[in-house]
Amino acid sequence: MLGKIKVLFILAALVGLAQAPAAPAQAAVKPIVLGCPLSTAFLYGWDAERAIKLAVSEINSKGGVQVGNEKRPLAVEVIDTRDLEPGVPVSEALLALEKLILEKHADFIVGGPVRSEAALAAMPLLVKNKKVSILTTGALTPKYHETIAENPEKYKYLFRISGEAKWMVGGEIIPSLLEIGKKFDLNRLFIMVQDVAHARAGGSLIAKIMAGKGWTVLGEPEVYPTGATDFSMGLIKAKDQKAQVMLIWMDMPETSILLKQWYDMKVPALPFGSIIAAAEQPAFWAATEGKGEFCLANVVNAGNAPSNATPWTMKFVDAYKKMWGVEPEGYGTSSSYMAVYTLKDAIERAASVDSDKVADALAKTDLMGVYGRIKFDPKSHQVIPSLDPQEGAVGTIFQWQAGKRIVVFPPSIAMGEILLPPWMKK
Amino acid sequence: MDILIYGIINSVSLALMALGFTLVYGISRLPNFAHGALYVTAGYICWQLLHRLGLPYPLAGLLALAIMALAGAAMYQLILVRVRGMAISEIIASYAIGLAILEGLRWGGLKGATVILPPFATGSVGILGVTVDLQRLLVVLLGALLVGGLWLFVNHTRLGLALKGMAQDERAALTLGIDSDRMAVVAMALGSAFAGAAALVLLPLGNIVVEAGYNVLIMAVAVCIVGGLGSWTGAIMAAFIIGFAQILTVVLLGPHYQVVVAILAIILTLIWRPSGLFGRQKELEERV
Repeated sequence: MLGKIKVLFILAALVGLAQAPAAPAQAAVKPIVLGCPLSTAFLYGWDAERAIKLAVSEINSKGGVQVGNEKRPLAVEVIDTRDLEPGVPVSEALLALEKLILEKHADFIVGGPVRSEAALAAMPLLVKNKKVSILTTGALTPKYHETIAENPEKYKYLFRISGEAKWMVGGEIIPSLLEIGKKFDLNRLFIMVQDVAHARAGGSLIAKIMAGKGWTVLGEPEVYPTGATDFSMGLIKAKDQKAQVMLIWMDMPETSILLKQWYDMKVPALPFGSIIAAAEQPAFWAATEGKGEFCLANVVNAGNAPSNATPWTMKFVDAYKKMWGVEPEGYGTSSSYMAVYTLKDAIERAASVDSDKVADALAKTDLMGVYGRIKFDPKSHQVIPSLDPQEGAVGTIFQWQAGKRIVVFPPSIAMGEILLPPWMKK
Repeated sequence: MDILIYGIINSVSLALMALGFTLVYGISRLPNFAHGALYVTAGYICWQLLHRLGLPYPLAGLLALAIMALAGAAMYQLILVRVRGMAISEIIASYAIGLAILEGLRWGGLKGATVILPPFATGSVGILGVTVDLQRLLVVLLGALLVGGLWLFVNHTRLGLALKGMAQDERAALTLGIDSDRMAVVAMALGSAFAGAAALVLLPLGNIVVEAGYNVLIMAVAVCIVGGLGSWTGAIMAAFIIGFAQILTVVLLGPHYQVVVAILAIILTLIWRPSGLFGRQKELEERV
């Protein structure tokens, strides 16, 4: 018996000794916890998660974030908010966010909530807990940064590093549509949107602006419920009304069905996805067996499809591909990646993880990133957009051509020209 | 004309979704709320057999159906038999199984729009000026074949007649030596295989997603309630009523209102004719 106890003592001492050398340097260093509320079953959730993990692994491999005199590693806590799933109430996302803050002790919030409605509802909760949050994916509603601008002091902790609907429509989608109209002599627009706040608002706004630009907007936008799986009657309507461009604003995966039906019915209207989650992903080509060719898709920020927007863009694309075996998948990828680097930059300038100090430092960000220059509007904390990557955050619209995502807008980063499907050629 | 053609396609799709559910209920009075989960699982198994094992499509499809039939039988023998006859427990147990399957699939990586079954036929044809893709025409054809096959099986085979006997009067069937538990197992196996068959026919039109399981369950329940729980004729009639109502709603009011149709049909049926169009469940009570 005594012998056994001795052996146990010796083993315990050995284990203690083995662990001892690693302990002094690491034990005192507490990681900075990034809480990521994301709808992980959907593209805008899982691509953001992957991008955040990529950025964190890159930063940690170089020792972590310099906070004053010490280097601290980053840790990621992801929680599924389920807010993109049909029928899941906003309260689910809020509970998930609260769990990240109270149970997981997140120092900063990066990512979502992803659905606009949930992101808006989360604002008071973030403020109450004084959590610096960088919104990176999904929520496009202008209401988010407008709310911040109305009371900048109250919402000083909240930032959005990805695009928002007003600039996306006025600065990117409308100019792109006008360019298509001019190039191919098209001016009849049919709009199909998903029944969610950002899509309904975006569709109506585009209808109004394009009508003002002399285009014929065919009726009211067709509103589809989240999860719709049959678009045939809408497509027949588009065909009967002689639509030439079909604007789609939907973030549900079922949009690949829409594109397959469009191809099978040979609808002579160019599909333009101002938001079209399914078509953004590299796997879309296989998922539609190539039937989605010629579909245009807006991925909000450069870097979400290969381009040479900045010297960092292709480095990011390659690193993502190396880590996850696929190119950056769509909206939310490059912005989530950049959010981590922007936060790192702010923490290092603030030399602290204190929310007030980091928020002040974030407001003064000026960083050349994957999709151009990252600067926040001083009042609204919205990343400043531009068509020139040297001036601000630049977007990306690409077209599926022969199995590849070819960036066609803005002209400053375009990698090819827009093409029409064969059945549309005159 | 487009309303007629797409109305028929939509109706047959609904009938296919509901057939397995109504078959199980009609024979064993068991409301199988795992029906939607079985639908998605069949598609996913077929996809796995196609893409992971590289099996030919017909073989993968047949194997998926066989697996579903076995899964349905096992589900009854291992779990549902213990709560048989207790309606609320049957619903809770089967819904819990369905929930576990669907969320298990999601947890296991079934997400996004990348899991798809190839269509049986590509291309499209014009029917009286309306363009229809061949896969949708096949849905109608295969739907008719499945319903016809089921009718032949039930009316012209020994096992089918035993099932029919059970459906008509379980006690009388017992007196004739028909084992009701065995028939319930067969019904669950058949119903699960029918859920699988519907999946193999309908899923090539879109993607295999977890949400389809919940959607199919709602549609199947709506069709069965409107048609009369357990009535196969009623289910087919109801599928056509709801199918055409949905298409007319899309055309006249907009696609946004399409989701309301099925739910509204359930509510109206429960208010005005709780036993449904062809149901016998509460016929007597209603007359009284």
